[in-house]
Amino acid sequence: MAQVLNQNSTGSYTFSSQPRAVQQRKKYKEQFKIQPDDQLNQYGNIMYDRRVIRGNTYAVNTLPAAAQPDPVEIQRQQEERKRALARRRAREQAKRHTPEPVEGRKHIPIQTELYLEELSDRVEEVDVDVQTDAFLDRPPSPLFIPAKTGVDQSTQILEGELFDFDKEVKPILEVLVGKTIEQSLLEVMEEEELAALRKQQREYEELRNAEKVEQQRLEEQERRLREEKHRRMKQAADILRLEKETAEKLAAKAFAKSYLADLVPSVFNNLRENGYFYDPVQRDLETGFMPWIIDSTMNELDTMMLGRLLLDNLIKEVVQNRSQEYEELMEQLKELILSQKEIDQSFSQQPDNLDSTLIQAEQLDEQTQEASMNDDILNDNNEDLE
Amino acid sequence: MANCLIPDHYPNQIDITRTPLAFGDRAVPRLNRELNDSILLTRQRALRSLCDYLHDPEHIASCISEEIPTSLKQLLSDVDPFCRYKSAECLYVLSCNSNGRNAIVNQDIIQNLSILFDDQEIMARKNAHKTIEMVSEFSIGAEGIVKLKLIKILVEKLKTELDEIKDFILDTLHFCMQVDTAQALSSQAMEVFTNLLKHESKTIRAKAARDIFDLSIPLEGKLEALKFDTVATLVNLLKDKDSIVRCKSALAIEAIAITTPGKYSCIKAGAIESLVELLNDELSEMRVNALKAITCLAEAPEGRKELLDHIEKIKKLLDDNVPIVSKHAGIAVRIITWKP
Repeated sequence: MAQVLNQNSTGSYTFSSQPRAVQQRKKYKEQFKIQPDDQLNQYGNIMYDRRVIRGNTYAVNTLPAAAQPDPVEIQRQQEERKRALARRRAREQAKRHTPEPVEGRKHIPIQTELYLEELSDRVEEVDVDVQTDAFLDRPPSPLFIPAKTGVDQSTQILEGELFDFDKEVKPILEVLVGKTIEQSLLEVMEEEELAALRKQQREYEELRNAEKVEQQRLEEQERRLREEKHRRMKQAADILRLEKETAEKLAAKAFAKSYLADLVPSVFNNLRENGYFYDPVQRDLETGFMPWIIDSTMNELDTMMLGRLLLDNLIKEVVQNRSQEYEELMEQLKELILSQKEIDQSFSQQPDNLDSTLIQAEQLDEQTQEASMNDDILNDNNEDLE
Repeated sequence: MANCLIPDHYPNQIDITRTPLAFGDRAVPRLNRELNDSILLTRQRALRSLCDYLHDPEHIASCISEEIPTSLKQLLSDVDPFCRYKSAECLYVLSCNSNGRNAIVNQDIIQNLSILFDDQEIMARKNAHKTIEMVSEFSIGAEGIVKLKLIKILVEKLKTELDEIKDFILDTLHFCMQVDTAQALSSQAMEVFTNLLKHESKTIRAKAARDIFDLSIPLEGKLEALKFDTVATLVNLLKDKDSIVRCKSALAIEAIAITTPGKYSCIKAGAIESLVELLNDELSEMRVNALKAITCLAEAPEGRKELLDHIEKIKKLLDDNVPIVSKHAGIAVRIITWKP
């Protein structure tokens, strides 16, 4: 059903017929009622719509089973239905819903739209501005043209009368060109001056560098020659010194040699004299053999001595005993003698025998004393020998 | 009739990038005032006008008396790169003049210029270097630079800067080393120069060779040169295509060849052959340098032996037009034919 005209959501264009999704066709057709707009939930899925032909369409040539009446017929019927609907709507509206007016009064349908006021804080305001009209320009005063008096005269400047352009332009041109050239000449001169200065500087620098290097070279040469000279002199001095030293060394060597030539034999002699060179066999004999010999000899001698000593002691004892005995004998003799004497005094003829026996006894005594003295001497000699 | 009087002032400036110059002797004070203005545009315009104004030497004296260098000094540390660049350029123009140089040295502007060496803007750095180079050509300026110990910074910059700026730094170092070489030696300049000898640009090679010569004049410099194998590179450069490079490398060789180890390393690197070929060059400086190098190498007995073969060529130079060439040729011949 066609809806309200000029309904546009974006405001860009209007529909004469608002596009709608296809509504589902109810199985049992009801009376055609006004379908309000909120029946969106009755839209069906196009996939399950029986009116959509599926499958190949080139074989579906035949009309559907229920033969529809002519399209014109259909349209006419539709219009009739619309008219009927409109009539019904009008009738509905014409039905009064409010009570009847009181006597003498009349009901007038009124809409208060025009008298509605929106209640809000914001005050409705209207901007109004005023602008004065632009002033119109004062129209220019009309030209004052005085009345014509006097006599008209005319004049005409012919070419060449006022001034001669070529002549007049010359000084101006001269100034222009002159100033320009002067300025440029100044600049060029400045540069040339600088270039000349630089050239002179360069030449000066060349000379200076050359002279400087020459000076340094000469210095260096001088230094080298001086050092060389020093070195040569030092070398010569060194050589002289070395030679002198060598000569001294040689002299010393010769002297020492001669001094020491004699040394060795004398040394050897001294040593030999002091017995530092010995024959080992002889030494051995002397140190080992001889003492042993002497010791054994001594032992022998000692034993001999001991024997002699013993013998001497024996002899001594014996002699002493004998002398004692002799003395006793002598005593006895003496006594005898005395006794004899006394006897002999009477016999005075026998003194000589007594004397002789006395002298013999004394001689015996002396002999024994000599023997003991000899024994003593022997002892002494033996002791000496020991 | 139009007026024929030629005015002696410039036509009205309609260039909006410059401020118009005030008339006569109000020009300089007004420029000075505008240089210290707080509006950036005014300062920039004043700088541009000042730059052109300073080209005339007569104006420089008035500028100096009006304390323009002081204002320029402050502008060197301005926030705007154009101001820095242009004020460096003004100082460059100022330094081309001797009064200007005096003013720069007296007012200690060199320190501020050295701060510009690290600037981001290429032109500012370039102008700062150009100014310093100009100042260094003049002995008090060179002494000032040396006193501020800028040599070390300059040698560091040589390693990293652009080629055209390297040119200026090499020139600056050349003049500074004529005053004092110790600072340069202590900042390993010899190594940097030796590396630059292999650069593509011929001016940089020539200048590096000349700087090596300057550095090799004291004894420590010669020893340093031997340490970094400079001799071999220089002998290669003797066969370079550009004549100035050959010239300067012969100069450097003759300085190094004065000491005995230097002589022997030069002879070992085969310098004698190349030097003898250079004797026929057109540049008189070339011939002089070749002769001097040959003279130094002839002090050594091996050198003398080799050079005795080439003595004819040297004798030809005795009659040269340029007087120093013939003089040095005479010295060379004498040394070669000397017998102990």
